[in-house]
Amino acid sequence: MLKKVIVGIFVTLALLVSIPLQAAEFPTKEVPIIIPWAAGGATDLIFRALAETTGKYLGKAVVVVNRPGGAGAVGYTECMKAQPDGYTLVSAITPLTILPHQVTTAFTYKSFEPVINVVRDPGMFLVRSDAPWKSLKEFLDYAKKNPDMITVGNSGAGGGVHLIALAFEKTAGVKFNNIPFAGGGPSVTALLGGHINAVSVSPPEGIEHVKAGKLKIIALFADKRFELFPDVPTVKEQGIDFVMGQWRGLAAPKGTPPDVIKKLHDAFKQGMDDPAFQKNAKDMVVNLSYLGPEAFGKLMASDDEFYGKLVKEIKK
Amino acid sequence: MKRVEIIEGVIIFLCGGITVALSLQMPIGTFRMAGSGLFPLCLGIALMLLALLYLANLLLQKDAKRQSPKAAAASPGAAGQMLLFLGASALATLCLNILGYPLTSFLLMLSLLAILGVRQPVLLVSLPLLTAAGSYFLFVQFLRIPLPKGLIGL
Amino acid sequence: MLESIQQLLTGFGIAATVVNLLYCLLGAVAGTLVGILPGLGPIAGIALLIPVTFGLNPTSAIIMLCGIYYGAMYGGSTTSILLNVPGETASVITCIDGYQMARKGRAGPALAICAIGSFIAGTLAIFGMVFLAPPLARAALAFGPPEYFSLMICGLIVLSNVTGGSLIKSLMMAVVGLIIGTVGLDPVTGEYRFTFDTTYLLSGIEFVAVAIGLFGIAEILANVDQPLEKLEQRVIVPRFRDLYPSLQDLKASVGAILRGAGIGFGVGLIPGPAPVIATYASYMTEKRISKHPEAFGKGAIEGVAGPESANNAACQSAFIPLFVLGIPFAPPTAILLGALMIHGVAPGPMMITEHPDVFWGVIASMYIGNFILLLLNLPFIPFFASILRIPKKVLLPLVMLFCITGMYTVNNSVNDIWLMLLMGALGYLMRKWAYDAAPLLLALVIGPKMEVAFRQSLMISHGDFGIFINRPVSLVFLLAMAIFLMVPVFRLIFKKMKKGGDLSVRSS
Repeated sequence: MLKKVIVGIFVTLALLVSIPLQAAEFPTKEVPIIIPWAAGGATDLIFRALAETTGKYLGKAVVVVNRPGGAGAVGYTECMKAQPDGYTLVSAITPLTILPHQVTTAFTYKSFEPVINVVRDPGMFLVRSDAPWKSLKEFLDYAKKNPDMITVGNSGAGGGVHLIALAFEKTAGVKFNNIPFAGGGPSVTALLGGHINAVSVSPPEGIEHVKAGKLKIIALFADKRFELFPDVPTVKEQGIDFVMGQWRGLAAPKGTPPDVIKKLHDAFKQGMDDPAFQKNAKDMVVNLSYLGPEAFGKLMASDDEFYGKLVKEIKK
Repeated sequence: MKRVEIIEGVIIFLCGGITVALSLQMPIGTFRMAGSGLFPLCLGIALMLLALLYLANLLLQKDAKRQSPKAAAASPGAAGQMLLFLGASALATLCLNILGYPLTSFLLMLSLLAILGVRQPVLLVSLPLLTAAGSYFLFVQFLRIPLPKGLIGL
Repeated sequence: MLESIQQLLTGFGIAATVVNLLYCLLGAVAGTLVGILPGLGPIAGIALLIPVTFGLNPTSAIIMLCGIYYGAMYGGSTTSILLNVPGETASVITCIDGYQMARKGRAGPALAICAIGSFIAGTLAIFGMVFLAPPLARAALAFGPPEYFSLMICGLIVLSNVTGGSLIKSLMMAVVGLIIGTVGLDPVTGEYRFTFDTTYLLSGIEFVAVAIGLFGIAEILANVDQPLEKLEQRVIVPRFRDLYPSLQDLKASVGAILRGAGIGFGVGLIPGPAPVIATYASYMTEKRISKHPEAFGKGAIEGVAGPESANNAACQSAFIPLFVLGIPFAPPTAILLGALMIHGVAPGPMMITEHPDVFWGVIASMYIGNFILLLLNLPFIPFFASILRIPKKVLLPLVMLFCITGMYTVNNSVNDIWLMLLMGALGYLMRKWAYDAAPLLLALVIGPKMEVAFRQSLMISHGDFGIFINRPVSLVFLLAMAIFLMVPVFRLIFKKMKKGGDLSVRSS
């Protein structure tokens, strides 16, 4: 009988010892960033780089978790449902404000608290270097004469770059044959293989191949030219007033306490300013564009309205 | 024995039918611009056709040259044993989020061993204890892979 | 060519430093541990352990990650052979003959052949990579959506009958697998399909749950379904001289290994789940050209040697598109891409010129990684094999717990465990009624990609089905598939013609 009591006490002690102690200071463990897309895409690469440099400023490691599926729906839904304690972040990018208008989702941009915006990149069209169109004008002339014939790949139906292509169609008065792919990688591959005529992407997708001379930028939807490719004119310069891009930032589930958000924001800002990240960004030709929580929130709201209207128009 | 195979064929045919019915509720579109339902619809039809082919093949074969089932026939007691085993596992799954991993795995091992006839008390208790504790420390503490935490926080 | 060899030797110099060797070893050990747990495969392993590599220089980091990758692939085979539980997706085929060998007390030779075959195939694949990378990458680019579709549907139909038996039954299972694969989000339009308003089904049916359920859990249930006296027994007590392959085993396997290496190397260039497809293709090939095909399914060593070699070769050649084009074709390579970029190395056409030390260092480390795995695992084989000495009534609960734990770690989801148990029950029924699970799994893996390729092709061609026939590569695959399907029909007609066309004639 005594033996059983002793064993019982030991077992209870052993179990008790394993109960984790609740620490007071945030963060006490790693902070994961959910990326609602497959590894290797633009968002993934940018945030992996940022996670690496931010870790030391935050005091704990920042890790990237991929949760692809549903054009982002799976990852965003998961973050929305997570505990608002600062231990789940999600990469908030433009499709967050587009997706809820296209399909019924459990979330909208309002389900999240903005933390910080990191980059803002213009959209662009790439074609092969040996394509018959030497300039944007030739490209659009051909498109006007042959509606629905130029195949333009994108990283997913209803995604950011797809909508950029559709909006450009409207502004330029042409019609392309938009072909969806499972991400930026496969669409660029198909272009390289000559299976499609052009591709709608945003940096760093395809940049390596432009550097190597295999692909060229035929349309750039930015305000000013790329530093790395100063000979590529923007679409605006050539007479079409069209500037569109994607922003990529971080958000937390709604209800995360403001002091936690501030801590995260400060750490990530330092991570952004870190020279290693700056160099990475330069290599990837991404455009750093910092926005604090409030400004980021305003951007999300205005884009949500914009895309809401755009999607309605396109659906007509 | 052939009756079983006919039933199998019919079940598969019905599965195909259900797929077709559910797919029709989704937008079908055309082949040029396929809607979500087009592919499952084709698959459902294909399944129904295959099932029909299978049944036709069965009926045309006058001699019973069919495949014998690979597994040995279950003796009545053993089937119940299997269901108990499965049931215990299902119950454990239910308890995972309530009791937490270490406790649930202990209880699961205990019940499974008992179902399969282990009777010595020392073995019956120490083995589950070892596996529960061992796997907890290996996965949660050492490899840092999260396992379900119960209401008691483990 | 000479320059390549010289650079390869430089690469060896970099990779073979003591520090890097240690990292490789560490990665291999961690990877093996991760791979043994059902569910956690190389992807999870790499993802979990990337943070560990942050402090290292790019070459060392990548070397360690490669070690993890191989370790995980090898660990997955171990559970397939010993317990009929596929450690990860590419080990499914290994279960078929590997487990049967284990039941006969030949787990040792099976495990050893896995290690040896993987090593040889990996080495051959690396040499292939070094000398053939650029032209192969260009060839891979020639595959557009129509070619992928034709390849996949041909592959699915031809490989569905991989374990023999009735073609119709295999095709039915394949179609069921395809249907299961449509659950979730439509990959093209993003609309919900068959999700019945649940968030769990939003990301589709988890393949690992189906694989472990249909193979592992079903096996457990089939074993439990026996009278108590039988459960006293052990699976088998291996004899000492059966712990390592005999000369006969090795002779029989050589051909399978070489063929597997070739098949795997070629198949690995296709985007998507290439290693899985490579294993099926190798098994099929070995069975077709074997002098004793009836031995397959009962423990033929070629059925283990071929697929495992193909698996490893495919994993190697999957790196080619990554390094040459900068485009990852499969999740493990995608994660490696991310890791490379973080360390400042951008894979792609510029990588070989801008960072030759990383490129050749990685290639050399792949070779070393293969070698280390061989050394690491051979001594452990008796230990692994003796797991089967445990009496069934203790072993079976352990395996069940093992599967449940492993399943949970994939997505942190209890729902996955339910799915696995459900699939286990289904798998049990399928065994009783002689339906094969292998085609279902293959279809589940290939299905979504096949559908995307199909719809993309039709979008490009504006609805014209001719696109599949007008392009030579695509046409070849479709013809192969047609011929394959016609063969049993012709045989039937021929047989009837010989007997005078009378349906009621019985064969005694």
